[in-house]
Amino acid sequence: MARITIDPVTRLEGHGRIDIFLNDQGGVENTYFQIPELRGFEQFCVGRMAEEMPVITNRICGVCPEAHHIAATKALDGVFGAEPTAVAKKLREILYMAFFVTDHTTHFYALGGPDFIVGPDAPPSERNILGVARTVGLEVAGEVIACRKRNHEIITFLGGKSIHPVAGVPGGWSRPITAEERAQIEDTARKNIEFARFSLSLFEKIVLKNPVYLEMVTSDIYLHRTYSMGTVDTNNQANFYDGMIRVVDPEGNEFATYPPSDYREHIAERVEAWTYLKYPYLKKVGWKGLTDGIGSGVYTATPLSRLNVSEGMATPLANAEYQRMYEAFGCKKITASRYEPIHHRLATHWARLIELLYASERMLELALDPEITSSETRNIPDPSRFTGEGIGSVEAPRGTLTHHFVTDERGVLTKVNMIVGTTNNYAAISMSIKRAAERLITGNAPDEAILNRVEMAFRLYDPCLSCATHFLPGKMPLTVSIRDSRGGMLREMRRKG
Amino acid sequence: MKASVYGGTVIIGMGNPQLSDDGVGLAVAMAVAERLRQHMTLTVTELNTGGIRLMEAMAGFKRAVVVDAMLSGAPPGTVQRFDPKDFVTTKNTFSSHDTDFATAYDLGRMAGVSLPEQVSFWGIEAREFDLFGERFTAEVAAAVPVAVERIVAQITEWEGGA
Repeated sequence: MARITIDPVTRLEGHGRIDIFLNDQGGVENTYFQIPELRGFEQFCVGRMAEEMPVITNRICGVCPEAHHIAATKALDGVFGAEPTAVAKKLREILYMAFFVTDHTTHFYALGGPDFIVGPDAPPSERNILGVARTVGLEVAGEVIACRKRNHEIITFLGGKSIHPVAGVPGGWSRPITAEERAQIEDTARKNIEFARFSLSLFEKIVLKNPVYLEMVTSDIYLHRTYSMGTVDTNNQANFYDGMIRVVDPEGNEFATYPPSDYREHIAERVEAWTYLKYPYLKKVGWKGLTDGIGSGVYTATPLSRLNVSEGMATPLANAEYQRMYEAFGCKKITASRYEPIHHRLATHWARLIELLYASERMLELALDPEITSSETRNIPDPSRFTGEGIGSVEAPRGTLTHHFVTDERGVLTKVNMIVGTTNNYAAISMSIKRAAERLITGNAPDEAILNRVEMAFRLYDPCLSCATHFLPGKMPLTVSIRDSRGGMLREMRRKG
Repeated sequence: MKASVYGGTVIIGMGNPQLSDDGVGLAVAMAVAERLRQHMTLTVTELNTGGIRLMEAMAGFKRAVVVDAMLSGAPPGTVQRFDPKDFVTTKNTFSSHDTDFATAYDLGRMAGVSLPEQVSFWGIEAREFDLFGERFTAEVAAAVPVAVERIVAQITEWEGGA
């Protein structure tokens, strides 16, 4: 039996890696995807004051500090029994939309997009953001940088600090915005909308109008029929900042809609001996192993699943794009504004761009809100309403993020639990890698292009393997190893990220 | 961002101050700034992910020093300097969500971002980097003053030659 290892970071540190075991015929016997877990987080937090959590958790991950800051702040609202003012919620959401725009933009142009724009078979040295700029025009590089810059400026002044926001407080937000800042947010949002539309048109031109790519997107290599999860507002439309958690089954029937605070009634975690990360699954369906279908509790929490549970999009341009995507896949309408779910996982890239447009439009709506410059940004917590327990939930770009804090009567943390975006998708990612490997690898020495197509199955989820770590100098962030049955190295490839 | 707006030197401390030795880059950056602050204009930046963000953090500055924990197999506490030309990456300068620093730097150039003429990278070999904690291991703690001395000397030399 041969083993192929796709190791996105470094093996020695025990970080994320993919192992593909081949049988004697050269077919795929099994695949394992392991995600690292940072140790000791609960012990690190327990005994601290709960108020520290928004600034502790925003350092957990270098990629989405904003998501952790907002989720932790919402959990504090619960701990202190302090409902935020209306404008505070809107300011939090503006910061969050600016973050979504930067994150989704970066994923498309630097990480997910190069597979399509430069091509899945292109050499790895070209399959990056530079290759994207060379293919579609140098000005795109400037647009990506400018988009990040203008949104980071909003995050910095609104969050009180660059990179690690500090403005979230129980019951609100520590600062109001001025009229000038509001105008800057509006201007940024308008530019974001144009940029999102440009990105969607690029996706259409390059992917949808290319029969080879379209076939790849709609092929059964990247297909899994699982449950879908996402946060929805009172109209059952996708919302990233707040709402109810909605789950639909693989046919699109509503399976559950619950407040995030009920997560333990709906989500259970499966422990497998070979990995230290648990697999979350839908408790009321049950764990049937790494398999899809209506009888398996495996679900996804991704841009695509958020659209699968949503009754159209809450903003007009994003809604038009939403309809276009579902119709392109031939999905039938099952409610007045929702379609059968899409299960072709590469469509997640498309869904991400629709979310980019939605986040941009939502940012504009909030910037134009008449009360947005109000100084009523905080309800001071009333000690008589202190509860000592709070659950905060947001849609992180990579899936539903839940923070759960319990404190003693002084507000000192006694228990901390978190389900981060990528963890939700652990089973689904593992299944997608396995399926792509099974369909694509037919011999002991799959070439670079084949292995890249296997990697595309996990890249589409934008998995966050905590902050990346790796070797220097000369070693590359990705090592692909093909081993024989005794673990001997047959072939090894290294490449840039 | 134009060079004329910022100029000067930026010291970028990379890593996570809550992940044991991973925070050493930050501690060194702060200590270097403390030593040199009275003599020159210095900006200190904390970053815990690399890639495009790192390139953006040095935009507009004339010189940049990046300090980070590294995992090269050397004994913990080893301090090494790397120049961009022979450098691939340290522990945090690559981001799995976008790209490595070299690609990000080229992207910045392509996009017309004003980037420093001089960049140096310093790595301090870590021992413990995936356990939550705010203390360094003994070897890494001992390496802090060593790294500070060397970086101060290097910046002073840069300034002298400017």
